[in-house]
Amino acid sequence: MACQIKENEIKEKVTEICSEFKNDPNDLIAILHKTQNHFGFLPKEVQAAIAETVKVPQAKVYGIVTFYSYFTMEPRGKHPISICMGTACYVKGAEKVLKEFESKLEIKNGQTTPDGKFSMNTLRCIGACGLAPVIMIGEKVYGGVKQEDVSKIIKEYE
Amino acid sequence: MKSKQIKIALRNCGHIDPEDIADYISKDGYAALGKCLSGSREKVVEIMKMSGLRGRGGGGFPTGKKWELAAAVPGEKKYVICNADEGDPGAFMDRSVLEGDPHSVLEAMAVCGYAIGADEGYIYIRAEYPLAIKRLKIAMAQAREAGLLGKNILGTGFNFDIGLKYGAGAFVCGEETALIKSMEGNRGEPVMKPPYPAQKGYMGKPTNVNNVETFANIPAIINNGSEWFSSIGTEGSKGTKVFALAGKVKNVGLVEVPMGTSLRELIYDIGGGILNGKKFKAAQTGGPSGGCLTMKHLDTPIDYECLKQAGSMMGSGGLIVMDEDDCMVAVAQFYLDFTVEESCGKCVPCREGNKVLYQILNKITHGKGEVEDLKKLKDFSEVIKSASLCGLGQTSPNPVLSTLNNFYDEYLEHVTEKKCRSKHCRALIKYIIIPEKCVGCGACKRACPAEAISGEVKKVHLIDQEKCIKCGACYQKCKFNSIIIE
Amino acid sequence: MKAIKSIGDLKTLTEKLKIKSSADKKKVQICIAMATCSIASGSGKVMEFFKEEMPKQPFEFMIRSTGCMGLCHSEPTVEVTLPDSDPVVFGKVDVKRARSIIEDYIKTGKTIDGVIEGN
Repeated sequence: MACQIKENEIKEKVTEICSEFKNDPNDLIAILHKTQNHFGFLPKEVQAAIAETVKVPQAKVYGIVTFYSYFTMEPRGKHPISICMGTACYVKGAEKVLKEFESKLEIKNGQTTPDGKFSMNTLRCIGACGLAPVIMIGEKVYGGVKQEDVSKIIKEYE
Repeated sequence: MKSKQIKIALRNCGHIDPEDIADYISKDGYAALGKCLSGSREKVVEIMKMSGLRGRGGGGFPTGKKWELAAAVPGEKKYVICNADEGDPGAFMDRSVLEGDPHSVLEAMAVCGYAIGADEGYIYIRAEYPLAIKRLKIAMAQAREAGLLGKNILGTGFNFDIGLKYGAGAFVCGEETALIKSMEGNRGEPVMKPPYPAQKGYMGKPTNVNNVETFANIPAIINNGSEWFSSIGTEGSKGTKVFALAGKVKNVGLVEVPMGTSLRELIYDIGGGILNGKKFKAAQTGGPSGGCLTMKHLDTPIDYECLKQAGSMMGSGGLIVMDEDDCMVAVAQFYLDFTVEESCGKCVPCREGNKVLYQILNKITHGKGEVEDLKKLKDFSEVIKSASLCGLGQTSPNPVLSTLNNFYDEYLEHVTEKKCRSKHCRALIKYIIIPEKCVGCGACKRACPAEAISGEVKKVHLIDQEKCIKCGACYQKCKFNSIIIE
Repeated sequence: MKAIKSIGDLKTLTEKLKIKSSADKKKVQICIAMATCSIASGSGKVMEFFKEEMPKQPFEFMIRSTGCMGLCHSEPTVEVTLPDSDPVVFGKVDVKRARSIIEDYIKTGKTIDGVIEGN
């Protein structure tokens, strides 16, 4: 999919973010976090701009983006849903919650709804195991989520 | 949950405001740092060695020895790193310490910096912990303002400051060399040891890496003395351990108990027993690197050596309790699914070997396994353990070996009888309508998405096993308990 | 906080803060866990309620936001320490129970539901 972000907007923002970190390639992870927080994802055009600014090969940036599960090259939804599939949540039925979200939103894990409202991915442990099963929508944590709660949760964002 | 607990790492959690440094100081906060700065660096190392504290991140390496090694390496520039990556699914000890008592970690890192000769430290924290990050930033700013971090701390001439580095969702970055690589802006791929980080770590300099819980113990050890700390626990495992009790136990939460506490005390006395009156089956310790403890281990004292002998490991402290409804073959598959995804891919035994393990387990849970597969699981596991580059690969087959060892009958049933006694593996279960109980209401037929149920109104219904997709919709809908899972 | 210039100054400050802490024991002390699990369970609303209601009461109090008490099974949790008494921890606190904590437990010493034993 062609990147919808304008070239000069990419250049301007990337220059600004990288200079906060003195264009230091050691801070690539922090740079990528901040850039993704701004644009919502890291398409190859943005990666290329970062690579040029901190003076590393584009392949290195691509290698980092594809290594870490936090980074995505596809746009996330307005309300990104993260379903914890850590052991405590798995044992308390997280798979059923995942299936219910997939069914209600009609998308699979890793996809975004056509209207761009919701995207879904699985996380490996948010660290709120006492409330298993746990999901996050944006930064909001929901604990003790059951299959029957899914519709109500989705409605909150409609 | 409290009575059998001794809180050292968690001493302040729940009692102080983590966003107010005055609260921390009122509990003797930074007194340990003051005490250390009044004496020699060697004395600090000596106290840590005498305490017997061992790394709480999972490795269990003696902390004092680690500091001694880093202190002995010559060099103007050294680093202290706090491993706050806490990637073990089911573990939230470190998150709780960082959210509830962040200054204890900052103070301990400064103590470490003094002991080994470092003036700079970093906390490598996973991005999944936004509240912990926020509280750490507040704590660091307050400590700097109070002159407890930065230049000329407490007028002693000692300089030490701390920065934050973020993870980005990679379990392997909990391994210290992968963590360092990540801190340097790279993929988190581990490297061969030696050289160890103490010799050549972050930016090629001598570096000491310790876990959050390890650091959280240190101010208390300095203030109360190494003798006090070593009087708690067992011969080889001093002090306490924080456990994240989760899964099918009534009182899920965080507990801190002396080393040597039995599994029975943890699960039944402190944890309140198993939920819904079910039978205890297993407790997983060590996360994807660990193994399971069963009924026969209930009176095993929990310490580093005993857990290893039992085929598991301490790990970071996640303790997932499982009951009779959990299929141990599926649990092994769950862990391998995790490992395959999280493997950095650098070495063949881990990258390819774990994939094979996962495929075999997947075959078994889908009813296509054979007896020969059980030997393959064991053989591959041994090779992966001995030939992998780093701790992730070297321990990834542990859940397989441990469940094979303790639940061989279950594995055998899966492959020879195509049966899952926990009724978890969909391919191995059948939904059956009991004719004597069926009233012919038709609710199951209407709910079935595969049109696999036939029957007329007020007559006994029947499930066509060929068409049934085992979704369980009929079982959920039936109000007369006339559908069973076999 | 002003910069602490020496180890001696730190000791003096610690003593001063301990004396203040002791004096605070004469007040009704309310600690509300505000860790990730707590907030996810609704402790934010409980905190707001106490912050709004306590100033209306005829006794001295202090409210403290804390980290995890380790009682994830009963979040939101609130620890109440009455003057010269041992702390009592309440679990599954919502606004209704928070109101009962003030009106029944704090004001009249009545035993109410939700106490987590062994704490």
